[in-house]
Amino acid sequence: MTKPWMLGCVAALALVACGKQSEPAATSVPAAEKAGKETLATGLGNNARLAEAARAAGLEATLAGPGPYTLLAPSDAAFDKLPAGALDTLMKPEGRAELTAVLSHHILPGTILAADLGKAIDAGKGKALVATIGGGTLTATRDGERIVLADAVGTRAIVTAADQERSNGVLHQVDSVLMPTQ
Amino acid sequence: MFKWILAAGAAALALSTPVLAQQGGGNKGGGGKPEKAAKADHGGGGGGKQARIERGGDVAPARGNRARSEDKARTSGKVERMALPSRSEDRGRIVRDGKDSVRAAQRKPEKVEKRVAKADRDTMDSGRMVRLDDDRRGERGLIDGCPPGLARKANGCLPPGRFQKLGSALSPAFASRMLDGAYQQWYRDDERFFYRDDGDYIYRVNRNGGLIDALFPLADRDFSYYPVGMDYPSQFDQYNVPQQFQSFYPDGGDYDYRYGDGAIYQVDPSTNAIQSIVALLAGDLGVGQQMPVNYGAYNVPLDYRDRYYDTPDAMYRYNDGYIYQADPKTQLITAVIDAIV
Repeated sequence: MTKPWMLGCVAALALVACGKQSEPAATSVPAAEKAGKETLATGLGNNARLAEAARAAGLEATLAGPGPYTLLAPSDAAFDKLPAGALDTLMKPEGRAELTAVLSHHILPGTILAADLGKAIDAGKGKALVATIGGGTLTATRDGERIVLADAVGTRAIVTAADQERSNGVLHQVDSVLMPTQ
Repeated sequence: MFKWILAAGAAALALSTPVLAQQGGGNKGGGGKPEKAAKADHGGGGGGKQARIERGGDVAPARGNRARSEDKARTSGKVERMALPSRSEDRGRIVRDGKDSVRAAQRKPEKVEKRVAKADRDTMDSGRMVRLDDDRRGERGLIDGCPPGLARKANGCLPPGRFQKLGSALSPAFASRMLDGAYQQWYRDDERFFYRDDGDYIYRVNRNGGLIDALFPLADRDFSYYPVGMDYPSQFDQYNVPQQFQSFYPDGGDYDYRYGDGAIYQVDPSTNAIQSIVALLAGDLGVGQQMPVNYGAYNVPLDYRDRYYDTPDAMYRYNDGYIYQADPKTQLITAVIDAIV
């Protein structure tokens, strides 16, 4: 019988160090089957720090699950722009709640392509509000040909590579880490 | 409530990457867990894929679905069990920053929600993440390591116990309180169970006997998840995965699955420790409510775009396994048009 953790390891290969039965399941078998093979979780080959953060927060199963989600994937360089020590703090066990909140600010419900954002921006006369899965709102604008997403305090994340379609959503590479604000 | 900031001294200011701002109030968690509760029947009409669902109509305005909260109390480096307080004392007092209040305002029309400006409340602490309490009453915050609304007890932070007890009869006062917002879709009455809420908690009631079969907080705070490693609250340890996700996350296997405030958690059945977050839910849309203004961007999954595309007469948005239809003119969500998970 295939254990859920086995399939989970396959589904989240980019994120989870597999091979030990003690590893928690990344997701259930039915969820992994629904999600498909080329998931958001497996699409983070160029986002090592994001992948590491997702694993630390326990979110790799979400990214390997049915979704669908739109993932704004900060580059490794984007994490480097955070204040010194900030990511290390988030990555500690006591920082998991905060880390989860930060990552959820980069996950949007459903599949939103760059063109969808562009249409919404145009319809909104230059800007569009976009809900994050965690309960926040980002503001989408154009900067020339590029789409920019800003958090509530004005941090701007430029979409550097858009519309990387995955089996459970779409991934947009961004150049900054956005922060939730409540 | 809490406020988080990313405190990194001058470096943080220079970078203008501020900020992990305040979190929704600390009211998650479970207090002492002397023993794991017996597993209840899975409520609801079974999970899984539904064929076509069309609901419309006469639904009360959304009162909101989530009350994200979180806890941070830990001892000796180990996550400590915490619990949710009754939300009755929080009602109408969720404090939010204006820019991020769009969703909440859409969801909770009868509740006054606002967010305090955060800048003057931030504190620097030499590169550490600092969470400040958000004293909604001026005196609240982490007291003895417990979030607002919880009290320090010998076995952790416990809720004030205002929820009705498992196995008791639902108070007649709440018998007609139907769920609204996204919850009305996630937990539909069926021949075995019906769901009601008292403003603070959702109750699953077994029609055979009329006793409360399961309960969990009617949460509505954002960005506040149970962190991996803590125990899922024992008071609410009954299977409560939203119906559309039940086929993906059933109990009875190697893991349990529990819903709580915007997420579905994978739980170790033997320890109740949360091992993973297997799904995040937005809880934003519900039939009968206005489309939130932050749903301007079309987000229907690719496989469904040939069927559900915006026209002058209908617009479609995806949320938590469902595709909703809305009237573009009134922005009123009129129906759940398809279930896709």
